[in-house]
Amino acid sequence: MIRKELWFGFILMAIILAAVVVLMPWSNMTNGHLGLLMLGLVVVAIMLGFPTAFTLMGMGMLFAFFAYWSRSSGRGDLALQQTLDLMVQSTFGVMRNDVLISIPLFVFMGYLVERANLVSKLFKSLHLALARLPGSLAVATLVTCAIFATATGIVGAVVTLMGLLALPAMLRAGYDVRVSAGVITAGGCLGILIPPSVLLIVYGATAGVSVPKLYAGAFFPGIMLALMYVGYVMILAKWKPHLAPPLSAAERVITLPAANAKISASYGKRVLPSLLNALKGERNVAIPSKVILKELAVTLAPLLVFVVIMGLTWNALTRPNEVQDVSGLQEMGANSVTIEAPSSGLQEPPSSGLQEPPTSGLQEPPTSGLQEPPGAEPTTAAPAPASTAEKSISPAKPIVTAAEITRDPAPKAFWYVFWVGLGCLALFYAIFTFTRLEIFKMLLTSFFPLSVMILAVLGTILFGLATPTEAAAIGSLGGFGLAAVYLLLARPREERIRAAKIWIPLVSAFMVSIIWFILYKAEVLSSPPTEWIGWISICALGLWALVAAVQAKMGATVRESAYLTGKTSAMVCWLFVGSSIFSAAFALLGGQNIVETWVLSLGLTPVQFMLLAQCIIFVLGWPLEWTEIIVIFMPIFIPLLPKFGIDPLFFGLLVALNLQTAFLSPPVAMAAFYLKGVSPPHVTLNQIFAGMIPFMGIQIIAIAVLYIFPQIGLWLPELLYK
Amino acid sequence: MQKILLTVDKISTWFGQVCSWSAVLLTALIGWEVFSRYVLNKPHGWVLDAQIMLYGVLFMMAGAYTLSKNGHVRGDVLYGFFKPRTQASLDLLLYFVFFLPGVLALTYAGWGFFNDSIKINEQTFSADPLPLYPFKFIIPFAGGLLLLQGLVEIVRCVICIRDGAWPSRIEDVEEVDVEKLKEMVQVKDEDIAALDKYVIAGAKK
Repeated sequence: MIRKELWFGFILMAIILAAVVVLMPWSNMTNGHLGLLMLGLVVVAIMLGFPTAFTLMGMGMLFAFFAYWSRSSGRGDLALQQTLDLMVQSTFGVMRNDVLISIPLFVFMGYLVERANLVSKLFKSLHLALARLPGSLAVATLVTCAIFATATGIVGAVVTLMGLLALPAMLRAGYDVRVSAGVITAGGCLGILIPPSVLLIVYGATAGVSVPKLYAGAFFPGIMLALMYVGYVMILAKWKPHLAPPLSAAERVITLPAANAKISASYGKRVLPSLLNALKGERNVAIPSKVILKELAVTLAPLLVFVVIMGLTWNALTRPNEVQDVSGLQEMGANSVTIEAPSSGLQEPPSSGLQEPPTSGLQEPPTSGLQEPPGAEPTTAAPAPASTAEKSISPAKPIVTAAEITRDPAPKAFWYVFWVGLGCLALFYAIFTFTRLEIFKMLLTSFFPLSVMILAVLGTILFGLATPTEAAAIGSLGGFGLAAVYLLLARPREERIRAAKIWIPLVSAFMVSIIWFILYKAEVLSSPPTEWIGWISICALGLWALVAAVQAKMGATVRESAYLTGKTSAMVCWLFVGSSIFSAAFALLGGQNIVETWVLSLGLTPVQFMLLAQCIIFVLGWPLEWTEIIVIFMPIFIPLLPKFGIDPLFFGLLVALNLQTAFLSPPVAMAAFYLKGVSPPHVTLNQIFAGMIPFMGIQIIAIAVLYIFPQIGLWLPELLYK
Repeated sequence: MQKILLTVDKISTWFGQVCSWSAVLLTALIGWEVFSRYVLNKPHGWVLDAQIMLYGVLFMMAGAYTLSKNGHVRGDVLYGFFKPRTQASLDLLLYFVFFLPGVLALTYAGWGFFNDSIKINEQTFSADPLPLYPFKFIIPFAGGLLLLQGLVEIVRCVICIRDGAWPSRIEDVEEVDVEKLKEMVQVKDEDIAALDKYVIAGAKK
């Protein structure tokens, strides 16, 4: 007797087999048809549940042997040798693939961040910060999921953790079970799309599209999808408040620390004037001024960040051109790399092997290029060679003083940004009450570190300052730092103080070089950090990592993260080994030609082709996982794209959005099963699936929106990499 | 019998875990190189080759480890719903049809590939080259480990067909360890069970 859960799979399998049997021209089989037969068989074989990597490898090998054998006029030994060569070359190709190398690094970063245990803090602070919005808990859940999933990229862990944290909170607040479940599962899957995501690396490696371009392209669609989720939840909460009731006043109350409550009571609710008054006033006898200064420092932090960024930008923008050019030329002499726009050095072609240009793409100071409009930058002709030579001879000449004498006027856009920013800050301080200060402090320890880390990793990739591999490694180090700090904060007070005494000097020693470097790049200082300072810095960082590993008890965290990284990378990359052998066999048999002639004979318009492709991928998303779909089917679709004039980058974005739905489509939706594992017994799988359906609908709308307005995805890559 | 199986598991796990540390090495190496290249303006030619090698070693050697923990991705539309005996019979068949020929061929071919490389003392193509044959040796070595682990898995299938239940494996760190995550965010099973009243109340509404 067949159980009912099995029917779906069996029916699907039967459909595929029937299609194969009907469509095959059995009387005159060519090798190409054999290739198609292999494709049909492999889907069936994968559905049987044998590890996909080895299914692909075995089947690829058998068919590759057949293909060689049929060509070699019956010489079995030659065909065998060719098959063996093919296999080992494919494997070695994956082993030295310089796109896939960033997978273990991003995965490692994800595991470290996951173990930093900041998700509960993140959720709590976001929930308090967003308390006034309709459906605030659901919105906070979505935002938490989006950020945490982006940083970790592990769907199962995010859904489980949010199921443990957000589901109880939402159920207690009277939220509908289906809405709560839908929000958690949909939010948990956002990390698949929003870069830095592994899916996009896998697609980039398969399709030969540059990963930074994909990241740039997926950024806005990812944000758009998250915003659409949030919008849906907010509208739903307004429209049917019984599904997502607003929080009661008691649930949003924030208790102030004693000192702040006192200041608030005696000087007024606004933080900045009250603190300043408290500092100089006489009524503050009870509160030590150290406490007030501490609060003041937190309060002034946004202002300080604003001043520093604007100051550096202003400095870079208004430097007299002459000096700027000279510094550029000196550097050029040193590196023999020409100065280019920020896009340079980024698109190292995927196949470029092991070498990449040493320092390209770095010359642009990080802060500029953001604010300056294309035409506003004052560009004058290059200085006369004579003066250049003169300047290069005396590089020690204090440039700062030179700059003070003649500064160019800053472009209008700078002042525009400056005044708007200042206005925002003023508004911020006007509404900055002591309650908000508490929320701000919570965000400062949970939301900001994580988002700054993600944005830093993403920003360096997008602006071409580092390759994805480098950014991923720095992200892993950042994840290590984050985990170390959070794990230390969980330890007893005396240990924290003891650790801080060692950590602060070591990290400061490291930061010396970094700040120096940033100031050098922002053209405040005239020379890069000297070598011995660099060495001291890097040694300090290494020492800190060792000390941190001991003091914050990071050993187990790092070890487990490394093991998990090994297993996950093996899973993805062995799949690549299998699929590269399989694709080679498919190509050898000439299956690609048949597919191509068949598709072209249909006479589809590009739109129809695109719809067909997306539908096929959508349907495949039911029985198969995203990795399998990308590594098996993308090599078949990608060669067809030029025939229809479709950009592989754009296609990739649609595929990434499409495969999101695979995570939410029953019956294989992993997210639902993870949530079921940690939800109360009366929450049924059907309820969870029902909750996911509206979000699946939103995803389909998102695909349509992206298709109709491709600029959502293509604007940023075009801007950055023109 | 179970003892032999677990011993092989341990061998695969040991190699896999040792090589998993190259994720840490890779992070440190690239971190150092980024600092050296960008801040100190001193790039090293060999680092790019070394990082590729660390990555290759990491995933190749973890292959058998992952297999020993049943961690390779499976198509799960049917498999999870089968009875253990059905699962084992299917696996057994496919180990012979796909796994053994594929991995055997890979190991054999990899051995030849490595020997060709060592004969010419092959090096990477860069300014300061690294020897390439140890890296190529990883293919037959990882293949051999995988083969060994595959044989163990075949025995497991046979045991499962005989007993009707899968034999046990050694516990290992898991990607989603629900108990650990519960501990991390300090949620207890009672808390979850206590939520049931809200679910039931919600259903009545």
